[in-house]
Amino acid sequence: MSLQRQELGSELSRYAIETHDLTKNFGSFTAVDHVDLSVRRGEIYGFLGPNGAGKTTVIRMLCTLLSPTAGSASVDGYDVVRQANDVRKRIGLVSEKLIMYPRLSALENLMFFGRLYGIERNALRKKSEELLEMVKLTPFKDKLVGGFSSGMRQRINVIRAILHDPEILFLDEPTTALDPQSTRFVRDLVRQLKERGSTIVLTTHIMEEADELSDRVCIIDHGKVMAVDSPQGLKDKHNSNSLLEVFLELTGRELRDSANGRISMRAPMGRM
Amino acid sequence: MTEKITWEVALDIARRDLLDLWRSKMLLFFFILFPILLMSMFGYIYPPVPKSNTNTGNIGTAFPNLPVSLVQMDSGETANLIAAQFIQISQQQGLFTVTETASYQSARSQLVEGKLKGIIIIPQGFSDALTAGQPATVQVTVDETNPTTAAVVQSEISAVFSIIGSSMSTQTIHNMDPGDVVNPAFVIQPISVTQIPLISGVASSFQFLAPGFMALTVITGSLQGVATAISREKEQGTMDGLLVAPIPHRSIILGKVAAQTVRGLIQGFLILGLSMVLFGVQIYGSPIIMFIVMVLGTASFVGVGIIMTAVAPDQETAQMMTVLLQFPMMFISGILFPIDQLPGWMQYVGKAMPLYYAADALRKVIILNASLAAIMPDVLILIAYTFLTMTIAIPLFDKAMRR
Repeated sequence: MSLQRQELGSELSRYAIETHDLTKNFGSFTAVDHVDLSVRRGEIYGFLGPNGAGKTTVIRMLCTLLSPTAGSASVDGYDVVRQANDVRKRIGLVSEKLIMYPRLSALENLMFFGRLYGIERNALRKKSEELLEMVKLTPFKDKLVGGFSSGMRQRINVIRAILHDPEILFLDEPTTALDPQSTRFVRDLVRQLKERGSTIVLTTHIMEEADELSDRVCIIDHGKVMAVDSPQGLKDKHNSNSLLEVFLELTGRELRDSANGRISMRAPMGRM
Repeated sequence: MTEKITWEVALDIARRDLLDLWRSKMLLFFFILFPILLMSMFGYIYPPVPKSNTNTGNIGTAFPNLPVSLVQMDSGETANLIAAQFIQISQQQGLFTVTETASYQSARSQLVEGKLKGIIIIPQGFSDALTAGQPATVQVTVDETNPTTAAVVQSEISAVFSIIGSSMSTQTIHNMDPGDVVNPAFVIQPISVTQIPLISGVASSFQFLAPGFMALTVITGSLQGVATAISREKEQGTMDGLLVAPIPHRSIILGKVAAQTVRGLIQGFLILGLSMVLFGVQIYGSPIIMFIVMVLGTASFVGVGIIMTAVAPDQETAQMMTVLLQFPMMFISGILFPIDQLPGWMQYVGKAMPLYYAADALRKVIILNASLAAIMPDVLILIAYTFLTMTIAIPLFDKAMRR
């Protein structure tokens, strides 16, 4: 028996993503600790936190790549555990690592990933070529992705995630290690996607980027939500004109070298 | 200008590389286990062989109690006596477990199925020849799909009849009266052994190795191929692109398996083609049945590859685990050495590997023109292996990917 979309009353149309007490433990370490999130439809939701704060773990649970230990999460009204396939049809993921096969050409990569979503071959080719044109990669469509620069790879990585017109897009640090030109291009692309009606969850360490793009930001630390508001709202609340200062005030200024619970191994012998 | 080698830096690099191994506990475990396993295998593959002693009539063997059958076509008194002596010596010296079969055809079928290692035929007229003081001949058929065992069986049967024959010669000379005339050939060798070949034509030793190598290539290729392919995708990040798509995880596994099967088949048939062109290997059986066996051989082991991927933390460890499994498997599954040469417990381990059944089936098809029905036990075991390993592998893969 197929599960029905979870009707959550009148709130369904308002929120693209909702989590209740979402928790993830890795052994004895709690990476995500009873997190409640509500991402509105059509907004860019900046998801910020220091390294090891639990951002990527939350995103991987929302993308059905990790099972929650406790709590619940729904994406576009579908439960991420019980209705994982319905969730997958509605989301696109641009993760930290490049989801591209280096020995396939740009067009071959797009055709391969598009077919996973059941898009008809001719329509897919047309869509791929349109998107390649949009990110100015048409001259390179038949070149192997392995030879692309970081900026080119990230541009094609983004269009791979939107081939199937997902309603919700997860962008995990999409501009890290990009040059200023590519960064600008990717940010403009994110705005264009919002204008098309997509809901976007954006994680970044670049506060200026979160400030510029996000309708609302959520700051998470030690697996817990510290604050949720518009960038301006947060700055006003903390009497600051810099989102970075607000972020440091909420999460502290000390370095976070050992915050990740997956660090389990002590150097057992000798030193270099 | 040549730069001076900086030994200090080279030592630092070497030290770092070794520290890397030391700190990956799983990799270190398999790294140490590999030589231990390998050497203990070789130690058992080459056990000390008891020495033969012609004076005492003692025949040493590394292959004790091989199953052979005696087909007695002569019911004369001498034939019965010699058959009884053969059974007695074989059992006393632990050479053969002898059963008696009524017809050669029935014994031959058992040999093809692998239940017997050799057939000894005492032909009609055997008693009459010996009673008349003429040399007689015993015929032997051995399992030519396994050349080492075949040679051992053949030589041990000859040795037993040589002991029986020399005892007959001694008695004949002892009972001779002055003036008696005797056929010298009878005194020198009263019983000779000739071979009835199982297959026609002249067989090269590669004829027997080629099917084993084919099975080995297909199975180990698929095992390592699947493990490496999945680990690599996990590490480079493309696996996320597959897992986040609305497709069942089984499709991912099936796709990986199909690609590895095609690769395995290409390599397998390349080995066969080269064996035919360069070493004169002949195929007596059906290519379609060979194809079926090779596909089943691949399918039977990819599940193990997937399990290893699910367990291993990275590509290097997954590769080490597959090597650790495939290398000993090469030696104990009857590919390079006959499985009869191994100690009992190791034979059980060898026979627990699907490679043994794939190689056995391929040999029977290629060399003996076996039908699908004749290799059905092998086929069923390969199918059972596929289901068993996949039943474990698929949920484990799902769990590992959502860890």
